[in-house]
Amino acid sequence: MSSRPSSSQTSVGSGALSHAYIQHPSLRCNVPESRGLFYDDANRLLICVTSSQVFSWETATFNPDVSPSVDSIPEGPILSIRCSLGKKVIAVQRSDCEIQFFHRETKQTLTHKCKAGSESILGFFWSDSPLCDLAVVKTSGMDLFACDSAMNLRLVETKKVNVNWYIYTHESRLVLLASGLQCKTITGFQLSTAGVVRLPKFEMTLATTESNSKPIISPGDVHLITVYGRIYCLQVDMEAMLLHTYRFYRDAVVQQGSLPIYSSKLSVSVVDNLLLVHQIDAKVVIIYDLFVDSRAPVSAPLPLLWRGYQGSDTSSQQENEGTESSTSSENIVMYEDAWTFLVPDLILDQTNKAISASSSDRSSLLEFLQRRKLEANKAKQLCLGIARTLILERRPATQVTQAIDVLVTAYSYSVKAGIYKELKNEKTTATTPTNDGASPDNERGRASGSSIDEEEEVEMNLPSGSADEQQESQLSSPAISPDELYKFVFASVEEAMVEESDYLVAIITEFLRSISAEKLKVDLNIYVMTVRLLAHSKRFAELSLFTTNKIIEPSKEVALQLLESGGQNLRVRKLGLDMLRQLSLHHEYISSLVQDGYYLEALRYAQKRKVTSVRSSLFLEAAFASNDMQHLAAILRVLSELIPGFKETSEYYTFHGLLNETSSSVAV
Amino acid sequence: MASMSSGDESLRLCVFDLRRGQTEGQELDKILFFHPPELDVSTQLSVTGLSEGLITFTRLFSPEAACEVIEAERHSHVFFEAETDIWMVMVVEKNKDTGAIWRIDALRGMLKEVHSLFVMFHGSVRALLEKEPTGGLTRAQLYPFITDYLSTFQKRSRSEDWCCDLFVGKKLQLPNFRETTLSERGTVQMLTLARDTALEVQSLVQVLESCAGNLQCHSMILFQDLLVSTTLSPDDTTNLFTFAVMRLTSQALLSSDASSWSYLRKGTGSSETSSTSGSIDSQHHVIRPLQNDKWKKGKDGFLVTDVWGLETGGSPDSAIPIVWLQQRQERVYLLAYQYKSLTLLLLLPTTAVLNGGLSVSAVKHQVIEQASLRIMKIEEKISRGWGGENAYHVKGYRYLVVDTDLEVSRASPSGKVATLAKESLLALNKLREEVDLEKSRAKRQERDLEICIRAKNNAWVIARVSRDKELYMALEKASDTLLDATDAVGRFSNRYCSGAFLMD
Repeated sequence: MSSRPSSSQTSVGSGALSHAYIQHPSLRCNVPESRGLFYDDANRLLICVTSSQVFSWETATFNPDVSPSVDSIPEGPILSIRCSLGKKVIAVQRSDCEIQFFHRETKQTLTHKCKAGSESILGFFWSDSPLCDLAVVKTSGMDLFACDSAMNLRLVETKKVNVNWYIYTHESRLVLLASGLQCKTITGFQLSTAGVVRLPKFEMTLATTESNSKPIISPGDVHLITVYGRIYCLQVDMEAMLLHTYRFYRDAVVQQGSLPIYSSKLSVSVVDNLLLVHQIDAKVVIIYDLFVDSRAPVSAPLPLLWRGYQGSDTSSQQENEGTESSTSSENIVMYEDAWTFLVPDLILDQTNKAISASSSDRSSLLEFLQRRKLEANKAKQLCLGIARTLILERRPATQVTQAIDVLVTAYSYSVKAGIYKELKNEKTTATTPTNDGASPDNERGRASGSSIDEEEEVEMNLPSGSADEQQESQLSSPAISPDELYKFVFASVEEAMVEESDYLVAIITEFLRSISAEKLKVDLNIYVMTVRLLAHSKRFAELSLFTTNKIIEPSKEVALQLLESGGQNLRVRKLGLDMLRQLSLHHEYISSLVQDGYYLEALRYAQKRKVTSVRSSLFLEAAFASNDMQHLAAILRVLSELIPGFKETSEYYTFHGLLNETSSSVAV
Repeated sequence: MASMSSGDESLRLCVFDLRRGQTEGQELDKILFFHPPELDVSTQLSVTGLSEGLITFTRLFSPEAACEVIEAERHSHVFFEAETDIWMVMVVEKNKDTGAIWRIDALRGMLKEVHSLFVMFHGSVRALLEKEPTGGLTRAQLYPFITDYLSTFQKRSRSEDWCCDLFVGKKLQLPNFRETTLSERGTVQMLTLARDTALEVQSLVQVLESCAGNLQCHSMILFQDLLVSTTLSPDDTTNLFTFAVMRLTSQALLSSDASSWSYLRKGTGSSETSSTSGSIDSQHHVIRPLQNDKWKKGKDGFLVTDVWGLETGGSPDSAIPIVWLQQRQERVYLLAYQYKSLTLLLLLPTTAVLNGGLSVSAVKHQVIEQASLRIMKIEEKISRGWGGENAYHVKGYRYLVVDTDLEVSRASPSGKVATLAKESLLALNKLREEVDLEKSRAKRQERDLEICIRAKNNAWVIARVSRDKELYMALEKASDTLLDATDAVGRFSNRYCSGAFLMD
């Protein structure tokens, strides 16, 4: 893990600077006589059809080498194709009035037709709502059918709406039906596991110009996306060159503002709760984080990059581009006309490093990273790296403080939300967290956003099934515990910062304040380190305040450090002694007193607290060394009382003898 | 010795330099300061002459530590060698009937204090003398300084004993045994903070000190008359704390307002002191940092004073107070900011300001911009947690705990001490005197003292000295046995002194 995100690291691939990458190698489907490529977003299947065969690839667990499953169907035109949610049935739209169903096991077939002439079928999709299994969208409205295992269709409900076109994503379980001359009146239904919810009808915003007084919205202009468990609708307004955002609540649709457009063609992707707006003409991606209210992009626009691509690799074909044309090998043209973008995106891999290199506000960057779920471990490592870098670069303390606050708050939040789990197996000796082996802690699909829903209850709940669609990551959360912050940030920079310990202490103080405000605890060693740093810069006044006000939490380790650092300053040593006494560490207290030459006080204390663990010879030797025979005699007497059988020990004889030799006048 | 007290004055205080005026006829040159100033020269000379004689004589036996005190029938002479060969001598009248009962160490504490304060503002007396060998400058600075210092006691007694103000008049009232027995001059009193508040305060300290950019500066925060935080060494902290409590804290500003109002009402005015110093002013640039009523709270929250001159004259920073820090051996600008009960002192090295091109007003601006909000919050937080003036009262105990190393003390609130019987206080005063004596004898040895005495009124007065911590206590429950008394001390020690005092 490199600690310093820099632009040089982003040059993987074709060498250009980029934020977003297309994962390489991609899935290749070389099917002869292919007639069309479809994507079934409910099952995450990539489907390629020939005249009589259906090839489908699983994309949920991405593996470029996966082999397709093959089904045979009768010949005929295919307008669209979708598998049922159990993948038992393949449904094929043959024309604008006919849908055919094929049972994969029983080979049973069924044809569903609508009234020819008066209405036509726009499309269909499968649903996991308890009410219905299949929805067929027609120009006259939407029919909801129940389908049993014998493939009998039963009409459950009809929603009468005039429909020009519709869009649906399985992720949101939301279907939007467009009507009106300009297609800007939108009726929405959510076919969730909780039932069918009708959304309030709303009008999309469209600017008019003199040349085009009645612009029409096409289905390609509207995108449904899900970020942070919230459902948004994005609508392109070409006349105004704006991308309008609408957020769906259970009982309202609220326009949220608009993003600028720099291209006449545009598409969107969602990666790890981030909105990627592809400005196709300009061949760049702009990344937005809708979580923050600001409509400013997260980073500067940069081109999409093909990660891991090598020039010699021929005929690689992108998996989610619904096109048969295999991309030319020598010269990959990004944003070919034939590219279509599916929401959510499967292949774009967010690399946080590039963003961190191009983002200047570190604390909002950390906030941003802390919201990342897709590559939690990477985000976490980056956060640690950024924190370390901030300190090593001697950024203003307020800036570092802000950054640390972000990390601590995020951690506290994720602990409360139950997302964060301590890695039990982590070795304390490791210099960086080795999370590769931490699979037991894997959490699936956290991005379904249960935690977010808790705090915004009016918000429309995402269907629970979407959890399956989330990619697994090794860590469930990029949150960093205070102990990790200590270990991987503070402790690791201590040596480098020892000459600027004032600065480091200032940051540690803010860190302690931050964790105290969140009622968290931290590794005791941070206090030992604080003592060391304060003593190093000779800030004894503060050291004493820190200790008396318990900013430095008392512990044996801290006390011993105080004693050690007190080599330069007696006051500091005394703080250590006081701490030992307060912690009732009698043995250490007495030994330290004797060591400082206060053997009488030590003995008094031992006598009072009935401590016999300290070697009696310590007192005797100290007294003998000070050449005070009266003291020696007193100590012998006290020890005889304190320790049973002391008079029988050789020690007693030795010192008693010494006493008698030196001065016979002192009575023992 | 009794003949010494020729005038009515109950206090005489002189500062003299043994290296000056060695030739006959030049003796007056020794004297750098004498109070009262109106005393005739011959009496002044006889006081200094006697003192010098005693010092010379006692040095024969004890070259390291010469004469400390002379107890005459009606007077006590307290000696303090402030700097090498620069002596301060205080002569006080003893009178049991008027309550003029002194503890010598408490008096010497005043001499030490005024000297430390003087050094903080003007540098050492010796340095001043070397700078200007005639002694004129030294005398010009010392005179108003010590007079202003002494006037604190005059005024303090006025505001406290409002009703007897008229009778006391302008006479100085040195703090007597009632005030000194359970207090320790030259120590600071700390505010105990909860951990989270302490962290907030520490964070504020960092913000405050960062207002000066990369300059190494220091700060100190007081809440009312209690120290909240400091980044100075104990000695510098004590001096600045003493000054702040005298002149800067919200309390000090409040009482100075009150006393100035009483001045106006009575129409006396401080004309005497100002006119005397005024005549010297013309020769030397005299600064009177201890002059009362000179600090006001400005609109921006910073305290302003014209003691160091007017803002309009000269460079913009010339009017900013400057103090001398002993530990770092540097001169620093003193900026004081006040919000309600919270007083914040920021100390900026003058050389760094001059060389670094940093203007003090820019720092002030930074403080207002970056710290004022936090200051408000912390004031609020501390005020909420503050138990009032009796916060450190411990029921049944009248106590004083001193940490001589850290120069910190804590005592029963004065209102509670005042409820003690005179006999108890006198007994404890006497006991403290004994302990002082014992301490000075055993200077370099392991000090471990434990004394419990039953006073005439059956109160227990207790002293406990353990290396660097001292505990003095009066327990007035007459029925208590010695065992009860030591138990009470033990409980107190465990509960409030983290078990520092072990009783046998």
